[in-house]
Amino acid sequence: MALKGLAGKILRVNLTSGSITKEPTPDDVFAGYIGARGVGAYLLLKELKAHTDPLGPDNKLIFLTGPVEGTLAPGANKITVTFRSPLTGTYSFSLCGGHLAPEVKFAGYDGIIIEGRADRPVYLWIDDDRVSLKDASHLWGKLTHATEDAIRAELKDDAIRVACIGPAGEKLSRFACIQSDYHREFGRGGAGAVMGAKNLKAIAVRGTGSVEVADPEALEALTEKVYGILAANLKARARRYYGTPEMVDGTNGLGYWGTRNFSTGYFEEGHNINAANMKEKIFVGSMSCYACPIACGKVSLIRSGPYAGTMIEGPEFESTGLLGANCGVSDLEALVKAVEICDIYGLDTMSAGAVASLAMECYEKGIITKEDTDGLELNFGNGEALVALMEKIARREGIGDLFAEGAKRAAEKLGVPELAMQVKGQEFATYEPRGCKGMGLGYAISPKGAHHMIAPTMGPETAGDGSKRFEYKGKAALVRETQFLMAVVDSLSLCSSMRFALGLKEQIDLYCAVTGLALDEAGAMLIGEKITNLERLFNLREGFDRKDDYLPSRMLKEKMPTGPSQGHLVELDPMLDEYYDLMGWDHEGRPTENRLAELGLAELWREVR
Amino acid sequence: MNVLVTYPERCVGCRICEQWCSWKHEGQVNPTKSRIRVHRVHSKYLNIPVTCMQCAKSPCIAACREGALRKDSATGAVIVDEEKCIGCRRCVRACPYGAVAIDKDKRIVLICDLCGGEPQCVAHCREGAIEYVSLALADRGHRAAYVETVVATMAAETKDGIKATGEGGCQ
Ligand code: SF4
Repeated sequence: MALKGLAGKILRVNLTSGSITKEPTPDDVFAGYIGARGVGAYLLLKELKAHTDPLGPDNKLIFLTGPVEGTLAPGANKITVTFRSPLTGTYSFSLCGGHLAPEVKFAGYDGIIIEGRADRPVYLWIDDDRVSLKDASHLWGKLTHATEDAIRAELKDDAIRVACIGPAGEKLSRFACIQSDYHREFGRGGAGAVMGAKNLKAIAVRGTGSVEVADPEALEALTEKVYGILAANLKARARRYYGTPEMVDGTNGLGYWGTRNFSTGYFEEGHNINAANMKEKIFVGSMSCYACPIACGKVSLIRSGPYAGTMIEGPEFESTGLLGANCGVSDLEALVKAVEICDIYGLDTMSAGAVASLAMECYEKGIITKEDTDGLELNFGNGEALVALMEKIARREGIGDLFAEGAKRAAEKLGVPELAMQVKGQEFATYEPRGCKGMGLGYAISPKGAHHMIAPTMGPETAGDGSKRFEYKGKAALVRETQFLMAVVDSLSLCSSMRFALGLKEQIDLYCAVTGLALDEAGAMLIGEKITNLERLFNLREGFDRKDDYLPSRMLKEKMPTGPSQGHLVELDPMLDEYYDLMGWDHEGRPTENRLAELGLAELWREVR
Repeated sequence: MNVLVTYPERCVGCRICEQWCSWKHEGQVNPTKSRIRVHRVHSKYLNIPVTCMQCAKSPCIAACREGALRKDSATGAVIVDEEKCIGCRRCVRACPYGAVAIDKDKRIVLICDLCGGEPQCVAHCREGAIEYVSLALADRGHRAAYVETVVATMAAETKDGIKATGEGGCQ
């Protein structure tokens, strides 16, 4: 079976031996798991031995695109990397937008599997079917933007797409990201550290081909239809106008915006870092990922003050939350500067913000003092200190060395594990679970730790008067459904921004027009369920179960002190029980033999467990 | 007769124009087979759509020794005679805008043909970064943009008290 929409080849690069091979894309796996995230979960479970050291040579970086990348499909621009996370020890994946994904397809590949460890810094150069490893000694230590520029200059082509790590990845910060196109990244879970551990500085790609689609006429008509839907949709329009910070007011207004290390869910100074203020003060233009009619990337410029001249794409909503509200920082310019430091050193802005807020709480509680911080006054709200701390973390200098290990490890070392707002070692996203119960359950059961895009239920939970967000009824079912839906969207590799305006139907229709396969919504949701179970199985093999599906005690025991969600906490256990039940998992959160058999995963599990 | 006008300052770099160009002409999405290309200047956060500007004195036509290029009298587009083009790329170098590309499979050049008068890039650009307007009026948008800058500058100057003329200036 040759699936349309696919490039047909997977590139496998072993950095230890230097061998580069091209394998036929496993069509049946793509047909079974759609692409990207789904196929990645399958391959990681199959190819990685249990208990592989995340920072050892045996870990893999499995980059995968989806079948719709490189076609006419709107918003088809995500590429996924799947790996065992050095931050959490769990299965993890992260998605990157920009222009890398279509370039990989145009070069003739559906994915790139990186294995082993080079004995000196190298970068991978994919020039259509000519693929080589090149010396990167001269690039080691360079910041991400400089690395991109240097590679483009060296290869004499300005249009080459580059994904690279910065000094944070080289120094194995556990939340180092992989940066691409300047401001797009494989953000969460520490893929940058895995790349650093492999001595792989960058991947550079040039593609001049194309992929064939099954039904061009249908694809064209659907694409036009989707443009129309997106142009009319209010949420998509807000995003187009304001970028992702359009969510600041709504989230803060309902009091579920993590503030001051999640000690509360409402930031009184939120209006200083909301979208309207950004638009007025710092936005100077828009940047789009490939094929996207929304163009949510906003370019920001600091015009005056100590950070004058700083220019970034962003800040995104999550960065605004975690480096802003969660650090109590309402200084827009400091926020932009902090984001820039993360981007050029290659740190996940989300984890970085969470770690900084932990440091601030420790400082205010006297757990760390001015002596430990080289004189930094790390009080909540001190933007200048935030910027200085970011630099320290990015370079692993002084106290930065401790915090580069992530919130969980740092807090444990400081003897205050309860102050790290994390699940399985992955720091919280910006949503405050006490103010939005479904998000709490979503963080808890997420296979990659507290990640907001595993089950982003905030939309339905805050619809209407917003009071649904406090209810427990139906939350397990909502989380389950959303989880399957996202597994499908991520596997299609459509940008999740499409999800606000498009139903699953339109997205699946695009997939069918491209691949020529027949898939309906029920079929797609079943695939979503299979992917969810695969991810669970990987973690189970590593020893994760119910005991790891928990939120920090602050969420469970301390009532939210201020804001519109005042007085609330999360009653997790009943939600967990219900969720496991619905999933067909046992009381410990392990998929039952029965359920696995029904899903057709029993044999695979026997093989790999 | 209409011509293409580009507004790089509006372009966000989505490359939807490229997609539709190669899709309509070649039946596939391929960035190297598009007659419009969006070049990103990363360090300056700029996206510049590059395509044929329908110059009055086409340097490409003048450079072609094979007589493979001519101007369509109805649309003003430069038409490539696929039989005559030998793919020597002289026109590529002659074009002051870098708007001529080469088709690596057919080994002949690709130049915007205005889609016979209904340019698909214009039809699909949501940002209004490419317009298709009458030659006589092609300056208007740019003039309006320039005037806006002048107005803004004047307003700023007034605010700063450097120059106070007009309404507020005669007290
Ligand atoms: S469609 Fe418009 S905004 Fe998008 S890349 Fe082309 S010119 Fe720029």
